[in-house]
Amino acid sequence: MPSWRSSAAYRIALVNFTAFALGLAVLGTVIFKAMHISFTSQLDAMLTEEAEDLANEYRSGGERELRRTIAERQSGSSRSRMLYAVFAPGGRRIAGGLNTPRPELGVHSIMFVDPREGADSARGVAVDLSPDERLLVAADADWIERIDRTVIAYFAIAFGSACALGLAGALFLARYLRRRLQSISRAAEAIIGGNVRMRMPIGDRRDEFDNLALTLNRMLDRIEGLLENLRQVSSDVAHDLRTPLARLRTRLEEGALKAANGESTAAVIEESIGNVDEVLSLFAAILRIAEVEAGQTRRYFKAVDLSDLLTELAESYAPAIEDGGRTLQSSMETAVAVEGDRELLAQAVINLVENAQRHTPRGSSIRLTLTSSATTAFVQVTDDGPGVPARELGSMPKRFSRLETSRSTPGYGLGLNLVRAVAKLHDGRLVLKNADPGLSAVIELPKAEQLAVAADDRIPDLSKKEGKTASA
Amino acid sequence: MRILVAEDDRETAEFIRRGLRELGHEILVSRNGADALHVLSGEPIDVAIIDRMLPKLDGISVVRRVRAAGVEAPVLFLTALGRIEDRVDGLEAGADDYLVKPFAFPELAARVNALGRRKALQEDSTRLQHGRIVLDLLKRKVVRDGDPVQLQPREFRILEELVREEGKIVTRTMLLERVWNYHFDPQTNIVETQMSRLRSKLNEGGKADAIETVRGIGYRMADHA
Repeated sequence: MPSWRSSAAYRIALVNFTAFALGLAVLGTVIFKAMHISFTSQLDAMLTEEAEDLANEYRSGGERELRRTIAERQSGSSRSRMLYAVFAPGGRRIAGGLNTPRPELGVHSIMFVDPREGADSARGVAVDLSPDERLLVAADADWIERIDRTVIAYFAIAFGSACALGLAGALFLARYLRRRLQSISRAAEAIIGGNVRMRMPIGDRRDEFDNLALTLNRMLDRIEGLLENLRQVSSDVAHDLRTPLARLRTRLEEGALKAANGESTAAVIEESIGNVDEVLSLFAAILRIAEVEAGQTRRYFKAVDLSDLLTELAESYAPAIEDGGRTLQSSMETAVAVEGDRELLAQAVINLVENAQRHTPRGSSIRLTLTSSATTAFVQVTDDGPGVPARELGSMPKRFSRLETSRSTPGYGLGLNLVRAVAKLHDGRLVLKNADPGLSAVIELPKAEQLAVAADDRIPDLSKKEGKTASA
Repeated sequence: MRILVAEDDRETAEFIRRGLRELGHEILVSRNGADALHVLSGEPIDVAIIDRMLPKLDGISVVRRVRAAGVEAPVLFLTALGRIEDRVDGLEAGADDYLVKPFAFPELAARVNALGRRKALQEDSTRLQHGRIVLDLLKRKVVRDGDPVQLQPREFRILEELVREEGKIVTRTMLLERVWNYHFDPQTNIVETQMSRLRSKLNEGGKADAIETVRGIGYRMADHA
């Protein structure tokens, strides 16, 4: 058993036990005291009654009658026999067999000399019969002491048993707590040891420990999901890197062969550089997503005129898309602004447009629109291509997620991932839905208070120009 | 031009030094930031190529200090860090251009050329000319051989960039940065598309091609334009 100092369970149990034992001791003491006081006052009442009785005898029959009554009563062999003494003013005992000095008036404990047992204690009541004579009636308090001793003995036995039971209960509680905690701790150790599928044991009671275990299990599920995702991403990166690297290797072998034969290697080298660029662009995409997800770029956020940005973008892309055999139509609501990074927003929308272009057949049309509600700007890219099966819509923005059908088309499945990360960075979101036919991707962004901010932004430029003219 | 190359990686420094010397430039190489600062403060340098992460004194600090000391030599930052904040921090420190490693050497050469001529072109002119092509920057009008050419605003901007470089190469990335303000590489060849439209407008009526394509690198104004 570990030291109780190092075990919260044992400490709790022992503290509880100590409180229980102290409570029991206080209770016993109170009961004992109450009982003792009650017996004593009963005895005192009897003595007082007897003393008054004798005083009445004295008043009616004088000293002679008193002596006679005392002698008569002393000779009785009653179990609770009383003792008597009458004292003259000088303290001299003039009647009764109670061998004790003249007492003070009232009720109190006295010491007397028992002819058989020697010095003994008793309760006594002293009253004055006349200005000269004082009567003392006393009774031995032995029986109260005997009762006290018996009570203490029984109480000690009861207290001992209760403490033993309490201590046993406390130890049981402590072991129970430790066992529950240790089962959680063992599961955790097993997970640390590599068994990531291990979960915390959950009992049927649904008590605090079970609730804790449930919460921990949810946390473990989440962590396992993230790990799984990480593993998936790493293996996907490795997989996607293999293809261009394998091609590069083939090229270089081909180049080596050509060089050995004295042929020109310029073309091979150029193609190899192309392969390397492919790998680099994959890394650039991964790093850009990581950068956006880290959220550092928020520092550079400014008011961005989304209408302006998208109009420019549509103008730039329409010719290229037309050259590719598709059309890009656009309609923009004017003066819609968001707080953000102009370049990241552009890249996100470009990714959507390029996605639409890549995954639609020639002759398709792509629509880029900007609309807004009171608080939100909606950037929508819709195509009328084959669309995406509904069940795959949810997994699309995941990193490296590429529909099986699109494995043949270029890209690393990172495009939508970046779009989603950019939307999130701007406190917005990416919504994908079927447009029947085709796919509709919507970036929802919170609108900025706006063009006032954008106008403020322009002021430095104006002042610069004014400054120039003034100095010229 | 006298070019300072501040780069701690021996291989990269040598690669840049050899390439630029072949183009006829005089090259000084610094292996650390403190040395680069010393050279920049003491010698006439036309363009400085500075790696962002240098021993002893990092590139950002070098640029901040020489700018604070009033040195105006154009600075091109080279870096392995392609993050937005790296670019913004670099430009805020006073660098004039920014190139992420790994880079194609022609890209570096074109940018160094452009930076080297920036000084000469600093006075604001309202009129640019290359051969028989004349641009009116105020009215946004272009005339070739006396005939007006109708250009879209973006086509005009591309032509302006090409003419400003006076027959030197302007890379595709430079055009993306300067005309579109995009510091990433879209998959779609929007530059090529715009360029082909600009060309067909400039060459209308069977005129000789005014723009020359440098394959895999960029474009420049043709000598005969």
